[in-house]
Amino acid sequence: MKSEYQPKVIGFLCNWCSYAGADMAGTSRMRYPQNIRIIRVPCSGRVDPLFVVKCFQRGADGVLVSGCHPGDCHYTEGNYHTRRRFALLREFLDYLGIAKERMRVEWVSASEGQKFADLLSDFTAELAGLGPRSKILDG
Amino acid sequence: MNLFASKDDLIRWIGELLKEHIVIAPVQVQEQTLFQPISKAEEVVFDFNNTTLSPKGWFLPPTETLFSVQKDDGKVELVPTQVERDAVIFGLHPCDARGIALMDKPFLEEPSDTLYRERRNRTALIGLACRQAQPECFCTSMGSAPDDPSNVDILLTEVEDGYIVQVVTEKGKTLLPKGLAEYKGKVPAPPELKAVPTREVISAMRELFNDPYWEQVADRCLHCNICAYVCPTCYCFDMRDYADKGKVERVRSWESCQSPGFSLTAGGYDPRTTKGERLRQRFYHKLFYFPEQFQDVACVGCGRCVRDCPVNIDIREVISNLQQVTEAKSGS
Amino acid sequence: MDKELIQQIRDKARNLLEEGTVEGVIGYERASDGVTSRPLFVYNPSDTERLIYDETCAHNLVKYLLDKKGKKMAVVVKPCDSRAINLLLNEGQIERDNVFIIGVGCPGMVETNWNHKSETLQAKCRTCQLSKPVVYDFLAGGEIERQAEEETYSDITEEEAKSVATRRGFWLEQFGHCIRCYACRQVCPGCYCPVCFAERLDPLWLGIRIAPEENDMWQTIRSFHLAGRCIGCNECERVCPVGIPLSLLNRKLEKDVKELFAFQAGLDPEEKPPFATFKKEEVMEFEK
Repeated sequence: MKSEYQPKVIGFLCNWCSYAGADMAGTSRMRYPQNIRIIRVPCSGRVDPLFVVKCFQRGADGVLVSGCHPGDCHYTEGNYHTRRRFALLREFLDYLGIAKERMRVEWVSASEGQKFADLLSDFTAELAGLGPRSKILDG
Repeated sequence: MNLFASKDDLIRWIGELLKEHIVIAPVQVQEQTLFQPISKAEEVVFDFNNTTLSPKGWFLPPTETLFSVQKDDGKVELVPTQVERDAVIFGLHPCDARGIALMDKPFLEEPSDTLYRERRNRTALIGLACRQAQPECFCTSMGSAPDDPSNVDILLTEVEDGYIVQVVTEKGKTLLPKGLAEYKGKVPAPPELKAVPTREVISAMRELFNDPYWEQVADRCLHCNICAYVCPTCYCFDMRDYADKGKVERVRSWESCQSPGFSLTAGGYDPRTTKGERLRQRFYHKLFYFPEQFQDVACVGCGRCVRDCPVNIDIREVISNLQQVTEAKSGS
Repeated sequence: MDKELIQQIRDKARNLLEEGTVEGVIGYERASDGVTSRPLFVYNPSDTERLIYDETCAHNLVKYLLDKKGKKMAVVVKPCDSRAINLLLNEGQIERDNVFIIGVGCPGMVETNWNHKSETLQAKCRTCQLSKPVVYDFLAGGEIERQAEEETYSDITEEEAKSVATRRGFWLEQFGHCIRCYACRQVCPGCYCPVCFAERLDPLWLGIRIAPEENDMWQTIRSFHLAGRCIGCNECERVCPVGIPLSLLNRKLEKDVKELFAFQAGLDPEEKPPFATFKKEEVMEFEK
């Protein structure tokens, strides 16, 4: 039996690749968990670490930041900056007690509907395994 | 009449008080002494220099919900915050007690602040006289004294083998434990403090508003809020509504005139943008506006701001500088 | 107190003021307790006699240059503080021509409190390898040979070895003490946003509640904004009135930035900071 607990996931998806990828998953009628609330951003480079921290502070169980594959950024190099920024933030949040498994950075292209669906299934299952994260108390 | 209690008597007494009251007393938290609600009498620290934060936080907490509004089935209900239990603040020094008496003036003046008034009515103060003065202390210049009983319900004074228990008010009488013997010994003399003359300053400040002194002294000011938050008489606050799924809370939190944005108005105008203007506000409120309105200087001489300011803006030095500035002006 | 060194600082300051090279000199003077020191702004050559320098002069005076933008100022700078000058030059906050840097060697600063000076060196000084400021116009007193320990980040690795839940508990307790006085921000030479995110009203990032949950967000973002920018003067921790171990945050980021991007802030005013650049070929942990 599936447990009652449904983790809350916030996804920041870039307009050009990952949002289109999610769209692809939808239009292809692939099944994936409904736990994600998607926020479309022009580029993964637009995602300020502040957004992610705020999500966790307001009770998100997991946060996904997703953009074009390195080299494919619509704005040439936005996602290279994303990569550096969130490599450090993930480590730092883990240090502060928000397990790094709760934050994912993934490259999903417009054609990778299947990858998006698989990614969400995997992420949701992993978060369900970690259990609920009350607003402040546990990791 | 003075009574006598041994330290064991006091511990037992606090234990008794804990049954019916929330007891707020100085406790050791890491490297600081702080006033906090205690769960057992043994936590209380008796021998301490002024705590990091003053006990004002019991009456004006760093953060509190004033009321909440809930929406349920189309019905809207306003739920005010309730003060549930009686409380005792145990072991506050006379300067801190005077700080509370000064906070009463703006908060209890009609229309009074509901939550403050409720907490104030339901809280008794058991003071502890200071047997030692620290170099930053100047309470005697600010209308109080190390052994001043005037703002507490009961005052304790440490003597060789215990404490003198001086009952000051009727409220204090009701808190007393049974069986304390009368104290017939001598009451020890309070420690001597260096005086900081203040009276001339209040009148001088009328002339000094535009003096370049303020920009000079503010040069090194960092505009953190430490001085205001450790101060027993600083009472400015900010309010904000928190809305979340059918519930709105009105929250009040400490705020300080030193902080950037404190005086920013809707529309973007800020009447106090320079460092000097902001720092000047702090001293004008303490040494001029408050006395104009409530007759007392809004400082109790506890020395916390002197002790904790990262760049040593010393209110005693500011007062003496202002006197010099005035003298220089009148001399020329 | 090194009398000769102090005389050199005073002479230089007097000189600069008399010649009109600068409008003011930012240095140190004795505090009102007679034991510790405090920042001093000198505009008048006769006031240069108040300048001092000793092991209590912990303040990082570079912060004040941000208040004096556009004015020619001289500033007394210790080796660690000098990295803040490079940081601000790198970020275009100050103009090199407007600043005259009176560098001083540093034997290490001691832990001080109001009216009290201890014999214990500050933790940051025990691992400081700088014998002189990284940038200066005049060096008072010459270089000082340092016999510093190596920075091993042992306290950080100790934290890292604990469980996530333990760390969460630890930080929530620490942040529970925070009274949001913002002294950590106000003293920091790297914190100079015209409107801090904490005070921004639209969007409303941070509430006014002085409570663990919001304090946590404040401290997380404050320290992360300084990732790759913190120069390690540790002033934030020194001024914290409630003793939160902020160096554990800043040095964790310093350590990770060193490991991930091989970068240390404030050593080179020209080198691009880690978040302003990237390498196409680098691979981060989450990509493996």
